[in-house]
Amino acid sequence: MKIIVDRARCEGHGLCEDVAPDLFSLDDDGELVVAHEGDELPEQSETAARAAVSSCPVAALRATP
Amino acid sequence: MVVGESVAGATTVRRLRALGHTGPLTLVGAEPGGGPNRPPLSKHVLDGAQHDDTLGHALDGLDIELVRVAATGLDPAARTLCLADGRALAYDALVLATGAEPRRLAGPGQRGELVLRTLPDAQALRARLDTARSALVVGSGVLGMEVASACARRGVPVTVVDRQPPLERVLGGYLSGLLTARAEAAGIEVLVVDGDVALVGDPVSGLRLPDGTVLSADVVVTCAGDTPCTNWLAGTELAGPHGVHVDEQCRTAVPGIWAVGDVACLDTPCSGRTPFWSQAVAMAGVAAASVLGLPPSGPPTDDYFWTSVAGTSVKAVGPLPVHGPPDDVEGDPDTGNALLTWRHDGGPDTVVAHGRPITAGRLRARSRAGARSSVPAPA
Ligand SMILES: Cc1cc2nc3c(=O)[nH]c(=O)nc-3n(C[C@H](O)[C@H](O)[C@H](O)COP(=O)(O)OP(=O)(O)OC[C@H]3O[C@@H](n4cnc5c(N)ncnc54)[C@H](O)[C@@H]3O)c2cc1C
Ligand code: SF4
Repeated sequence: MKIIVDRARCEGHGLCEDVAPDLFSLDDDGELVVAHEGDELPEQSETAARAAVSSCPVAALRATP
Repeated sequence: MVVGESVAGATTVRRLRALGHTGPLTLVGAEPGGGPNRPPLSKHVLDGAQHDDTLGHALDGLDIELVRVAATGLDPAARTLCLADGRALAYDALVLATGAEPRRLAGPGQRGELVLRTLPDAQALRARLDTARSALVVGSGVLGMEVASACARRGVPVTVVDRQPPLERVLGGYLSGLLTARAEAAGIEVLVVDGDVALVGDPVSGLRLPDGTVLSADVVVTCAGDTPCTNWLAGTELAGPHGVHVDEQCRTAVPGIWAVGDVACLDTPCSGRTPFWSQAVAMAGVAAASVLGLPPSGPPTDDYFWTSVAGTSVKAVGPLPVHGPPDDVEGDPDTGNALLTWRHDGGPDTVVAHGRPITAGRLRARSRAGARSSVPAPA
C-alpha cells in the first residue's frame, strides 16, 4: 500500500498527524511531510495510514492497494 | 449495523474494526455514490470539476457489507431496519448516522430553489455559476459565506442577506466584524435585514425582503441552516426537533441504539447539536467504544472548527462565539495573518488562527495551556 497526497488540496488541518503521527507531520509553515510518500508502506503501518486517510476532511490523502 | 454513509458513519465502522470488532458489520447509505467529504463542496468543488471523483470516504480494508439503499423505518422492539427496496435487516446494535439536510424556504410547489449539501447540489450550483451574472445568498453563516466567497472568486457579483451580520451567531461580534470587512473588500455585498426573507418567482428568481423590496438574480442559493434527518424514524421515540438525543456515550433512550454526527443532539451540559466535522468524528469514536462495551478514548465532543472567507482561512479551538476583542493578538488581524486568543475563567482559551498555517493539534495545545495557566496556584 502507498500513500498519495494531493498537496493542492491539503489545507494543513493536521488531523492526519493526530491520527498517525509516525507517518504524517506538518512543519512550521503548515507544509505536510509524509513518511514513505509514494513508496510501499511497511505492513504494520497500513491500519494507521488508512485511518489517517479517512481523517482528512478534504480527502487530500489516498491509499492505493 | 450503521445507517448513514458519510463521515460519522464511515468513522464509526472504522473505529469498530480498530477496537477489535470482528463480527459482521453492515453500512447502510442512501447516497448513490456514497456520501462525499462535504467540506470541499462549498470550496474547491464550486471552482471546477477536477475534484468530483475523489471526495468519497475510503472504506477499503474494513470487511463490511455496504448497502446503498435508504432506510425507511425501524422497529426497535424487533431490532429490524426496513429498507426502501422492501428488505428488512436484523441488527444487534444500531448506530444512527443519517446526518442533516438543508432547511428550504420555497413555498409549496415553488421550483428551482438551490441548496448545498450533496455532490449533485454542488455540481448544479457550479454549472449555474458558469453563466450567472449575479447571485443572491440567503444566510450569512458558515455555508452562506463560503458560497458567497466562491461567487466572488468566480467573478459573479454576489449579495448575502441575513438577519444577523456574517458569522456573528457562530463566531461572535469581533470576528464577524473582521471577516465582514474581508468579505466586503473582496466585493461581497452584505445586507442585514430585520425579518424573514421569502423566495420569489417560479422557478425562483429573487428574494422579497421584509420591507417589501424585491431583489432579483440569476442564481439564488438558500444557506439557511440544516435539519437532522429523522423523518424515517417517525413512530419511534427517537426523533425530536433537535435530532436524536444522546448521552455522553452517544446512547439514545432506546437500548441497542446509538446516534452520532449531525443527526445527534448531545444531552450534556453546554452541548446540543454541533453540526461540524470534528464533532462527528469524536462522537463516532465514543459510540464505537460504547457499542463494544469499552471505555471511551475521549469525550464525545471536539470543538475544532474551520471555515474560509474570501480566501482567508479561519481555524478555531475553544468555546465559541467569543465576545469583545481578543485578550492577546499575535500578528495583524486586518491583513488576515494573526493568532488571536480569548481567555476564559478556569476553562480552555479560545484560540483562533486567522489566515495562519497552524494545525488543529497545535491550536488544541495552546487552548489547553490557557486552561492550565488560569487555574490559581495553590496558596
Ligand atoms: C457544503 C458543506 C461544507 C461544510 N464545510 C465544513 C467545514 O468546513 N468544516 C466543518 O467542520 N464542517 C463542515 N461541514 C459540516 C460537515 O460536513 C458535517 O458536520 C458532516 O458532514 C456531518 O457528517 P454526518 O455523517 O453526521 O452527516 P452527513 O454528512 O449529513 O451524512 C449523512 C448520510 O446519511 C445518509 N442518510 C440520510 N438518511 C438516510 C436513510 N434514511 N437511510 C440511509 N442513509 C441515509 C445521507 O444520504 C448521508 O449520506 C460542511 C457541510 C456542508 C454541507
Ligand atoms: S488532514 Fe488532510 S488537509 Fe489536513 S493536513 Fe492532513 S492531508 Fe492536509
